[in-house]
Amino acid sequence: MKDRLRTHLLPGLVLENPLLSASGCFGAGLEGASTGESGILGAIVTKTVTLRPRAGNPPPRIFETSGGLLNSIGLANPGIESFLERDLPGALALGPPVIVNIGGETSGEYAALAERLQDSGAAALEVNLSCPNVQGGSLPFSTDPDACRRVVSELRRATDLPLFVKLSPNTHAVVEVACAAVEGGADGLTLINTLLGMAVDWRRRRPRIGMGVAGYSGPPVKPVALRIVHQVRRAVGVPILGVGGIQSAEDVCEFLVAGASAVQIGTAWFTDPRAGSWILSRLERLLAEEDTSVDDLVDSMGKERRSGRGHGCA
Amino acid sequence: MEVRVHRLCEVRRLGEKDFVLELEGPFPTVRPGAFAMLSLVRDWPCLLPRPFSYFDLREPTGEVREEGPVFGRGSFLVKVVGPGTAALTSAPPGSRVRVTGPLGRGFPAPMGGKEPVCLAGGVGLAPFLLWARERAAAGAGPIPLLYGGRNARALVGREEFEEGLVDWRLATDDGSLGSRGTVLDLYRRLVGEDALDGEAPVLCCGPEPMMAAVAAECRNRDLPCMVSLETVMACGYGVCNGCSVEVRGRDRFEGARYAKACVDGPVFDARELRW
Repeated sequence: MKDRLRTHLLPGLVLENPLLSASGCFGAGLEGASTGESGILGAIVTKTVTLRPRAGNPPPRIFETSGGLLNSIGLANPGIESFLERDLPGALALGPPVIVNIGGETSGEYAALAERLQDSGAAALEVNLSCPNVQGGSLPFSTDPDACRRVVSELRRATDLPLFVKLSPNTHAVVEVACAAVEGGADGLTLINTLLGMAVDWRRRRPRIGMGVAGYSGPPVKPVALRIVHQVRRAVGVPILGVGGIQSAEDVCEFLVAGASAVQIGTAWFTDPRAGSWILSRLERLLAEEDTSVDDLVDSMGKERRSGRGHGCA
Repeated sequence: MEVRVHRLCEVRRLGEKDFVLELEGPFPTVRPGAFAMLSLVRDWPCLLPRPFSYFDLREPTGEVREEGPVFGRGSFLVKVVGPGTAALTSAPPGSRVRVTGPLGRGFPAPMGGKEPVCLAGGVGLAPFLLWARERAAAGAGPIPLLYGGRNARALVGREEFEEGLVDWRLATDDGSLGSRGTVLDLYRRLVGEDALDGEAPVLCCGPEPMMAAVAAECRNRDLPCMVSLETVMACGYGVCNGCSVEVRGRDRFEGARYAKACVDGPVFDARELRW
């Protein structure tokens, strides 16, 4: 029963299954396809593309620590023109819908990217308002509700593609920012980007990552992601793409029950390039055993167990 | 690339911290210098797999693919440096090892010209067994291989090479085996004595300071020099951008500032790198 896996994200966006790639963990599409996993995905989310090419941050860019992964890549990408010409056609040919992740430093840059992508074949845009590794970058859009509302409103005017706004966990105001994104016209949200972290080489008296601080991902961030997905889902009615430390089909079910309508796999692929296939086949079995479906699981946590905080937007 | 779970046949101790991990096939033919990402399927103490050069491929199965024969045994040279390498080398026979590979660009086959001189330091010996076999098959052996380490006990792995594949030249920092000094000191001396062709291209794999010094020597001598980099990696297949190294933006990189060690390397023309 394939229908068990189907997820109704938006009226015009129904995915065959709830497994998506997390931005930056599947390249621009074709790089990730070398895993053989592209065909099994509900949708492919591409690595953040910016208006102009970005070289990225000085190495070292990654460090494994405490069961998770620190990264400071710095949105290395060839820029929108090269992406449209060289990368997107290959990604579109892989089969699943392609959600293009965009990043900018000003609301005008975001709008310009959305306009370039309007008729590109992209099924939706994911708006990276939350990369922790770019100086002068987008993080304020993800921590200040007013700034978030303004940039999403401008994007909304620039495109009628569905907009999934990807937010940062590095704020106490994540529910307020999420509400502002929806008020600005977001069709959905992606929660969460990486947690800000650090690792130190004490003998050399220096950080392990070239830029000092970095984004933390992998299994240790899962509880934080679940909490935020749940809190935000209590406040807003739009679909949420849950992401953070998902390694198993059980993890997927937890995110669905907590309020996500689909999930993204990231770091798990670096542990095992076939992680998506394993997770999907196990998920199908779990759903059959429980005689349930993805759509039934979404946001199904019993009311008595629900977090008491953040009911509705102010 | 393939992702395949292999049975661990044997872990052979070569030295204090150096081991050969021997796995049951099938393994495809790979370019010398290509690598794979390895992890234990169970009881893996890390999040990420670890990258290793293919060391040896043996026992052809009879199957032949486009890139060459398929082998029934494959091995990797592993030096214990942390929890991942400790777990791999202490795993009991029969353990399941996940291997993602082959990955990366190895040493290019010589397009005629002089036979390259190989310089290895420590576990940098790993890519040169397959290289020596390839050269022998092309009728070019034994290849000149200069192998250096701290002391005699560090120069492990020579017994893994068949007789006659390599013309060994050894160097140790303390002079306990071969000539005293670095592998670069040895190279200079042999070239000075006309015991080595000073105009032959150089292939180098070892610790980064050694490779940087060898690359500088080759630049001064105007010799082609290929080096095999070791970097921290997350994916190994080009998506994460975590293993980027600074390059000189030559044609191959279209002016880019960084290249990915995993797919653009790990073997680079030393002139492409900034170090």
